[in-house]
Amino acid sequence: MAKIKSIKINGLRGVREPLNLDLNKKSVLIYGDNGTGKSSLTDSFEWFFYDKIGHLSNEEIGRRKGRDALRNIFIPDTEDGFIELAFDNNKLDSKKSIDNSLRTSSSNESDDFNNFIASTNSERLILRYRDLVQFIIAGKTEKLTELQNIIGFSDVQNIRNLLKKSGARIAKSIKTSNFDNLKNVQQSTILENLEQKAYTDEQLFDGANKLIEPLKLGIEIKSRQDINTVLKKIESKEDSELLNQINFYTKVKESIAQIEGNIESIHNGYSIFYDSFDTLKKDPDKVKNLQLLSLLQEGKTVLTKDVVEDDYCPLCQQEKSKVDLLLELNLRIEELELLNKEKVKVENNSKDLQGVIKPNINAINGLLTEKLFEKEDYSKLKETIEEIKSSLNTYVDETKKELSENLSNKETIKFDKKAIADLSGGLVKKIKELTENKEANLKFKTYTKLFHSAKAYVEYLKIEKEQNVLTNQQITFELLYEDFIKRQEEALNVFLTMFSNDINDYYTTMNPNEKVEDIKLVPLKKDEELIGITIEYSFFNETRTPPIAYLSESHINCLGLSFFLASVKAFNKESEFFVLDDVISSFDRAHRYRFAQLLANKFSDYQVILLTHEKDFFELVSSEVKSKGWILKNFKWSKEEGTGIERGIADIKDRIKKKIEDKNTDGLGNDIRVYTERVMKRVAFELEAKVAYRNNDINEKRMASELLDSVQSKLKASNELKTKADIPKIKGMPMFIGNTTSHDNDFQESIEDLEAIWEDVKDLIQNFYCSDCDKFLSLKFYDNVEQKIRCGCGKLKYDWKK
Amino acid sequence: MDKKIKSGKDVIDEFFSEILNVKGTDESTVNKLIELYGENKLTDSNIQNALEELKQEAIRPKKIKEDGED
Repeated sequence: MAKIKSIKINGLRGVREPLNLDLNKKSVLIYGDNGTGKSSLTDSFEWFFYDKIGHLSNEEIGRRKGRDALRNIFIPDTEDGFIELAFDNNKLDSKKSIDNSLRTSSSNESDDFNNFIASTNSERLILRYRDLVQFIIAGKTEKLTELQNIIGFSDVQNIRNLLKKSGARIAKSIKTSNFDNLKNVQQSTILENLEQKAYTDEQLFDGANKLIEPLKLGIEIKSRQDINTVLKKIESKEDSELLNQINFYTKVKESIAQIEGNIESIHNGYSIFYDSFDTLKKDPDKVKNLQLLSLLQEGKTVLTKDVVEDDYCPLCQQEKSKVDLLLELNLRIEELELLNKEKVKVENNSKDLQGVIKPNINAINGLLTEKLFEKEDYSKLKETIEEIKSSLNTYVDETKKELSENLSNKETIKFDKKAIADLSGGLVKKIKELTENKEANLKFKTYTKLFHSAKAYVEYLKIEKEQNVLTNQQITFELLYEDFIKRQEEALNVFLTMFSNDINDYYTTMNPNEKVEDIKLVPLKKDEELIGITIEYSFFNETRTPPIAYLSESHINCLGLSFFLASVKAFNKESEFFVLDDVISSFDRAHRYRFAQLLANKFSDYQVILLTHEKDFFELVSSEVKSKGWILKNFKWSKEEGTGIERGIADIKDRIKKKIEDKNTDGLGNDIRVYTERVMKRVAFELEAKVAYRNNDINEKRMASELLDSVQSKLKASNELKTKADIPKIKGMPMFIGNTTSHDNDFQESIEDLEAIWEDVKDLIQNFYCSDCDKFLSLKFYDNVEQKIRCGCGKLKYDWKK
Repeated sequence: MDKKIKSGKDVIDEFFSEILNVKGTDESTVNKLIELYGENKLTDSNIQNALEELKQEAIRPKKIKEDGED
């Protein structure tokens, strides 16, 4: 698994000057006030791994996966914005850049790197505050979808859906084809001609032999080839016109019989469609509300993507907790989605009915192209058939009605079954008349009957084969689906159990003795279908669900955090690092501390990049995480450089030394000033020197002159130290005179002057700092017996009058 | 945990490697599904086309001359 050695960012989001983070595989706690660009780091990180910035990928602030808003607009056109990551495995090191035309490129195109990125795509690398509670407050279906996405089960769900959909489609095809009706139509033709039904070759040959017996042909039909031989033998070209007529009527009769057999299905289909349509129509307000669904869904996107960051409703502008707002939206969306399902059901019933009607209309359309219908003699029959088509179209028209319209009553729209049965009977009679017309010609009669029965038998076999194939396919898909869902549910349950244990462990570590325990993710089923996931937990030994109803916002956030951390353990197989961006905002002091302990103890194998804008939290947990080897960093923001890292005292000291070595005066005076301010702040703190009161963060901005004054004033307690330190000498140096603004101006001192100043500053500091014990002189170490102030080890000590 | 945690891919791969053992299924349909999955072409439209092909193959008269179907 990979860890990060260093991160370099330039020209992305708020970063205008190179931002370098040397981590050397260690975890880091980064403090930065709001607006100092912590999210620039998180956004760049997200882009590096996922090739998108989710919360920037919307119409308002940037399309193209957030790329529009990725590049810092102040960097020169000739420069690329980039993020460069070095890993412990240098084969994965890569620099991802974006140029002025927003084209992106990666310096590492190796298979190792591409495979690594592909794997991390399904890993959990980043958690922002805005995403913290998404899973916890999501609806049950959304929870299932989200979880399946995270655990790579979305493909499993896709296969499951494919199996189900395929099985359902075949079942529908079997139903609309009404194979039994089609087979009956063919058997009727066989019965009319052979005076017996034929389901097998033997039955057909038996009937055929009986039919041809009076002709005494001396042939016994034993195969279908024999039937062809007999037909050829008794065929007469003189009778072709009559034969055409009989064929025509047979075709019409079969089509009408097919429709007759489907009438019941059409009536049933209409009845189902009518009832579902009517139920939905009964509550017009509900239907009207459906139009709000897309608005509510869009509202949810706006909130989850942090287009609105504060706790207020973007529509009515009323103050409201974002979590509460999202909860309400989820509930309303779920309600409307349920209603939408009813609407979809009506639409599906409409499609089913159309599916049953369509083959009948097609059959009639086929009939109406028959040449004989062009003749006057057949006009009445044509008219009757067109009426049937019109009746079928009436049903189709009903299926196209809007919910605002009324459907025709089930009884009034009904087909006149008797009229169709009469027509069918009339056609059978007509065929018989035509066939019997040539009573004297036994050959013709036999030919016609044998021809039609053989043709109907072949058609019957074809229909039966199709029915069997489809039925086998349907059964196959049903069995496969059954097998597949067992596998899916078993795997999901194993995962949920393991996952629940981890969530429970992390949550209870952060919230000990709160009587919330046994947290579980529980699958929800309806009609044997997995429809969602809910969260259950035990509260004073009673099972509660869902958590939002009983837990405070801070506890819900805790649960969200536990969920994320459990996901990291479960799914991060390639990357042994993750980013937590400002995730503890709603936590109280005790929770914050326990959270830091949880990370330091249970995630000690991982490299954590923990960002916070909360000074209190930073100070609270600094020593805890530092003792575990974490690095501490401060982010700052300046107009000139954008986001940057506030340099530590040691960094600045090294830089000063380097500049003096290189005889480089550029910014050296400023560096000495900053260094002196930092150290004197610490000296003032340890000596409990007083400075004027200032509000909040302004309190942190103390100039060197002010600090030197306050320390000097405190040194009244020690003449010895006062003399040795000689603060007035330092205070008179040019970089310590003036206000903050003038401090930032360049000094025009020579390198020799600056070297001398630096030596004086070092001399000053060594009066207050002991390099042996790495501690400052402090009133904490005051020796009451000797009345001396001293460092941690006592090597440095001075008389001190309290 | 006694049972191994399976990824989504594990679940799918296992299903297709044991699919022929599911009793009562139509072999040609199952083989077609295995083939589509192996070629990474298991989509709704490909399944529909494959099933239609199988159906046409089954109902197409095979030996016209011998059984006299024409």
